[in-house]
Amino acid sequence: MAGTISVERIQARPVERAYAETASIPWYIWCCLASVVSSVVGSAWDISWHESIGRDSFWTAAHMLIYLSGVLAGISCGYLILSTTFRKNSPLYEVSISMWGFRGPLGAFICAWGGVAMIASAPFDNWWHNSYGLDVKILSPPHVLLALGMIGIRFGLLVMVLAEMNRAEGIYRQRLERILFVTFVFLMGMTVGIAQEFTNRVFMHGAKFYLVIMIAAPIWIATVSWVAKNRWAATIMTAMFTALHLCFVWGFPLVPAEPKLGPVYQHITHLVPPDFPALLIIPAIIFDLLRQRTADWSRWKQAATLGAAYLVSFVAVQWPFASFLMSPASRNRIFQTTNYPYFVPPTSPWVRNLYIPTEQTPAQFWIRMLIALCVAILMVRIGMAWGAWMRRIRR
Amino acid sequence: MKEFKRQSTLLGILLLAVAIPALAHVGSPDVYYEGDAGPYHLFITVRVPQVVPGVAEIEVRCQSGDVRAVQIVPLRLSGPGSTDPPTPDFAVRSKDDAQFFTGSLWLMESGALQVRITVDGAQGKGELSVPVASFAQRTYAMQKPLAGLMIVLMLILGMGVISIVGAGAREASLERGQMPGPASARRAKIAIAVTIILVAGLVYLGKAWWGVEDANYKNRVAFYKSPAAETTLENGNRLVIRARSENPTWSARINMGEVIPDHNHLMHLFLIELPGMNRMWHLHPTLLEGGAFADDLPDMPAAHYQVFADVVDARGFPWTLVGTVDLPQIHGAALRGDDCSWSGETIGSQQDQLVSQLPDGSRMVWERAAGPLKANTAMDFKFSVQGRDGKPAEDLEPYMGMAGHAEFVRSDLSVFAHVHPSGSVPMASLEMAQAGLLGDRSAMQGGMAMAPATGTWPALVSFPYGFPKPGDYRIFVQVKRAGQVETGVFDVQVQ
Repeated sequence: MAGTISVERIQARPVERAYAETASIPWYIWCCLASVVSSVVGSAWDISWHESIGRDSFWTAAHMLIYLSGVLAGISCGYLILSTTFRKNSPLYEVSISMWGFRGPLGAFICAWGGVAMIASAPFDNWWHNSYGLDVKILSPPHVLLALGMIGIRFGLLVMVLAEMNRAEGIYRQRLERILFVTFVFLMGMTVGIAQEFTNRVFMHGAKFYLVIMIAAPIWIATVSWVAKNRWAATIMTAMFTALHLCFVWGFPLVPAEPKLGPVYQHITHLVPPDFPALLIIPAIIFDLLRQRTADWSRWKQAATLGAAYLVSFVAVQWPFASFLMSPASRNRIFQTTNYPYFVPPTSPWVRNLYIPTEQTPAQFWIRMLIALCVAILMVRIGMAWGAWMRRIRR
Repeated sequence: MKEFKRQSTLLGILLLAVAIPALAHVGSPDVYYEGDAGPYHLFITVRVPQVVPGVAEIEVRCQSGDVRAVQIVPLRLSGPGSTDPPTPDFAVRSKDDAQFFTGSLWLMESGALQVRITVDGAQGKGELSVPVASFAQRTYAMQKPLAGLMIVLMLILGMGVISIVGAGAREASLERGQMPGPASARRAKIAIAVTIILVAGLVYLGKAWWGVEDANYKNRVAFYKSPAAETTLENGNRLVIRARSENPTWSARINMGEVIPDHNHLMHLFLIELPGMNRMWHLHPTLLEGGAFADDLPDMPAAHYQVFADVVDARGFPWTLVGTVDLPQIHGAALRGDDCSWSGETIGSQQDQLVSQLPDGSRMVWERAAGPLKANTAMDFKFSVQGRDGKPAEDLEPYMGMAGHAEFVRSDLSVFAHVHPSGSVPMASLEMAQAGLLGDRSAMQGGMAMAPATGTWPALVSFPYGFPKPGDYRIFVQVKRAGQVETGVFDVQVQ
């Protein structure tokens, strides 16, 4: 990538360069990474819990992991901000930003914001359940506030890693870049995950599905490609995302579970896994290949090419793959297409393997596909700009 | 019925006031049931949640003291979801009363559900099912302290994200120790301005989304409100009744042409003269093409009448059509079949009297425990029928298959409940619930006609029920003696 992509060289001072080559990953990055891992596992587990067992309480292990995420990020970043602000000769003082009289790394403030958002969502969600009933769906206003908090922590971690990475060189930078990939995996997992009500296989022969994926995925693909020095950044990140997703798909069914709420429409004996992941790896490979060949193009031309290629290649592989997922050939332990939440009636199109049309006419379909194309291009362009900005982060 | 009202706060937090339920009877959503789970006689109360999905509270009183454990589990009443129960819950035995068990159940869906109860004791296992009409009844307003807290948190989050973006734009790309210059400050101002617009847009979209969710929920609440009973009078005495809901999807989903018989009749129509409730008719219209019902009225005086019409839809969900009608003097046919009427004093005149004189000189006595009646308390309303000689009547017959029928009506008509000896559940729904039990189905004994061992029906009839709220009520109790339906009337004040 270094040979084909224009990358700003880091002009570190000698002292800083020496530090950058010998330093270890700072404790607050590990804390925030642990926080994010906790929320990723907790969220996936919680969704599966609601689909398999149903009844929960404040004290379920999945909830504890989610809350632990907010607490861990809040406490570690709060301490980091306070120590940077009030400790004499804090090593971070000169690489910190100031806000409301406090000083700290920019990522720490973002993580703290995410923690507050997660905490704010708790009483809101509780009131929502009391007022409108327990919501058995992912997309509700309090859940979105919780998701914003989670995104805040993940993005805060990303900014912290970027600031450290952009000041580093050599092996230390490479180590930080590995964490950077992990962070991007979690960010894409968040946006793709929150849209999963629209990404079920019953929607995969409709334009809405592709529009939703174009909103959720290409921005991270483009951003990581413009931040990392690795020429296969998009492929690596998407492969990691797919591998993590497959861990859940194949791991959850190993855990025994049975519904504790009714009515029960599906016989459940184990945790219901998430759907098999979309084939985002193919458009990611295409993206990397094309990016290497279009490095000297104008930004908008490059974005248009990469965005269009991403959408077209995704449609080309996912459309027939959807047919496979609907077929008896997919009903096995690899693709897990016979695992339904306990509350899905046997009359559901999902259980009957029927597509739900999201557009009523061919014209609607093509108009929405055109919108998806524009969104893909725009998201790639935003990702490129964002990535360029991220390369400049020092604090 | 209260009116909905809405307030909006600075950040678009909607504070919703509430409406009271108006279904599964009218204004009386909790379920009271008395029946047998195998060898164990149970008195069951299901206090349904106000919002769905929500938690129902289950109370089980066992008549015998040999019960070891009570398990409770929710299912759909019929069709998919009625055959594969989730893991049951154990009801908890009261520390003060060894024969009283309580438990909580999540009702995850609206519609016709059932709570299956399994009893284990010295006499082995027994099982019964209680039909439950599950539906969202209201929304709760956000309490002011919570609303204040949410506003403060929203302000912190909103100002926080604006400040973070501003600080990031100003300083994030500065080298170690470098101070922000004018260009950085200008960049920060632009970033802050853009972020303010984005945050404002996000709050606006969030408020709009909340509004849509709120409207959808209100729609669900409205769906389960009592449909209106639209009445027209044809040919001088033919009353035609049609159901009409304010909810546009109700007519599409509920087919009045497919209602199922509830103790021999598709509709039980109650006409109560207003304002004094000093006349009442219990009639049974027939189904016409298109889902309308019609009945040839008997002789009736010109008056303003309250209409309550009970039906049970094909899924076993009970609906009560509610309306009023002004009728002219009706010169109609004589009462026939199971139809009956009553006339007497206006509501309040029988206040706290325990004896109701019947037309033939006999009387009905309310075997009521001393002390005030309290709302939301499950009770067994017992009435004995005595002949003119004061001895227990020996000529009682089943009335539509049961020992008796009782109607509980609040003075303001906000509560109407048609109750049987088995409780407040419709018999049609109960039959569907029992059909899912594999073993003993003797729970039906509490309600449906069973040939008495002695050849005569007991003179004492009881109804499990609880008043949903304080107020003045009139209770109509109907039994059948020697081919004639007799109606006893009692007025009572509930605290």
